Amino acid sequence: MPLKDSVIALPFPNAVEAAHSAKPSPIEREVMKLFEQFRDPLLRYAHSFGISVHDAEEVTQEVFLSLFRHLQLHRSRRNLRGWIFCVAHNIALKHRQANQRSRQTMTPDWTIAERQPDPAPNPEEQFSLIQRRRRLLAIVQALPEQEQRCLRLRAEGLRYREIAAVLGISLGSVSISLTGSLARLIRAAGR
Amino acid sequence: MSTDNFHIADQELLQAADGELSFLRAAKVRAHLAACWDCRARMAGIEEAVTDFARAYRDPLTPQLPPIAGSRAMLRARLSELIAKPSNPSWHNFFHFHLTLRVFACICATFLIVAVGAELFFQHFAKQGKSALISSDRGIIPDPRLTPGATRQVTINDVCSMPHEDVVREVPTVTRQQIFREYGIGNAGPEDYEIDYLITPGLGGTEDIHNLWPEPYKSRMWNARVKDTLEERLHQMVCIGKIDLATAQHDIATDWIAAYKKYFHTDRPVGLSSQLNRRQEKRSGPAKAT
Repeated sequence: MPLKDSVIALPFPNAVEAAHSAKPSPIEREVMKLFEQFRDPLLRYAHSFGISVHDAEEVTQEVFLSLFRHLQLHRSRRNLRGWIFCVAHNIALKHRQANQRSRQTMTPDWTIAERQPDPAPNPEEQFSLIQRRRRLLAIVQALPEQEQRCLRLRAEGLRYREIAAVLGISLGSVSISLTGSLARLIRAAGR
Repeated sequence: MSTDNFHIADQELLQAADGELSFLRAAKVRAHLAACWDCRARMAGIEEAVTDFARAYRDPLTPQLPPIAGSRAMLRARLSELIAKPSNPSWHNFFHFHLTLRVFACICATFLIVAVGAELFFQHFAKQGKSALISSDRGIIPDPRLTPGATRQVTINDVCSMPHEDVVREVPTVTRQQIFREYGIGNAGPEDYEIDYLITPGLGGTEDIHNLWPEPYKSRMWNARVKDTLEERLHQMVCIGKIDLATAQHDIATDWIAAYKKYFHTDRPVGLSSQLNRRQEKRSGPAKAT
């Protein structure tokens, strides 16, 4: 919801400004702290669903607003990181479903790999690195969605238990999925 | 079982790299890696693949992300808006009405679920007859999320080179405590539970926490002692070539009670069957006499 509209809708025009100037509550401080910590990982994770960075940003905002309500209602604080990623996962899925064009506008990982110039010492090495990355990300994209999710969540630092909770699968499945995916990456790299 | 004689499976190497092994198991894997170049090379391959993927996934995208300052300001504003939202009495009434409705709906749904559940249970009980679990048998099947089972790479020769009872070891106290915590069991006495392997080491199971669970001794029908007999039976069957090791591992990890019934061709533990038969004979004896 755009901020401007909400300000107009409030009965007291200065309510938002007053709230801004007021000292943030402990819950608000906690949410902001977690936002600093998880905003980038969540953006990357949401973006990996094939939604735009702008939509991914919106997903992240929704996640932290939900977190605020969650904490305000004194709900469980156990495994907040897993909770945050789980909510992001669900909202990102909804965004992907809602966005009819998401599949067409989806940016493949390998084009992202090419977009970013790498600080390699010479163009040859840079080219070789991009090729290697492109091959690797193509293999990842060929994996079943659940295996991709496991890999990405692990890359964002989640433990097996947290990944299992986010994806609603067993610990054993997480472990097997990660082992299988990495075996494919190793085989593809010819190691 | 010592890892010195066997190589470590990729799955366990990755768990070790990810810090997902129990303290004890991690120490054993470290010791094995120190001695085994083959496993160390595989571990290096896994680490390299992890590094490559993490870089390929994170490095190119991170600089493309919009600066955090704008998002931070936006979230602050939205939070402030959420906090500053005035409480409207009519909204409150509406909310309370809906809350009451929801509570009522929840109660109805609970009753319905309980009724349907009870119906299904009794139907199942009627179908299964004597094989249905009695109430004291709760907890005898491990939680598959916490204890899915874990194995190491072993051959039939490894498994059968020593008697079953020599392969099974005592679980360390630290691991026991960790398992009790995971299962939410406080103040468990040593006589209440056995920390049991889901897949016994004699069938290639590991000491990993994912392969251990607190099995109650007190269960009258399906208890730790009954499972021990199944483990011995499977170990024997594997070693004489009646079933393959993978099948034994799969069956015991999926549902050990079903496996017991399958391999002992009975609906109840063998000792219990004979006890019940004796009791029935005793009861029927005087009746016949009169």
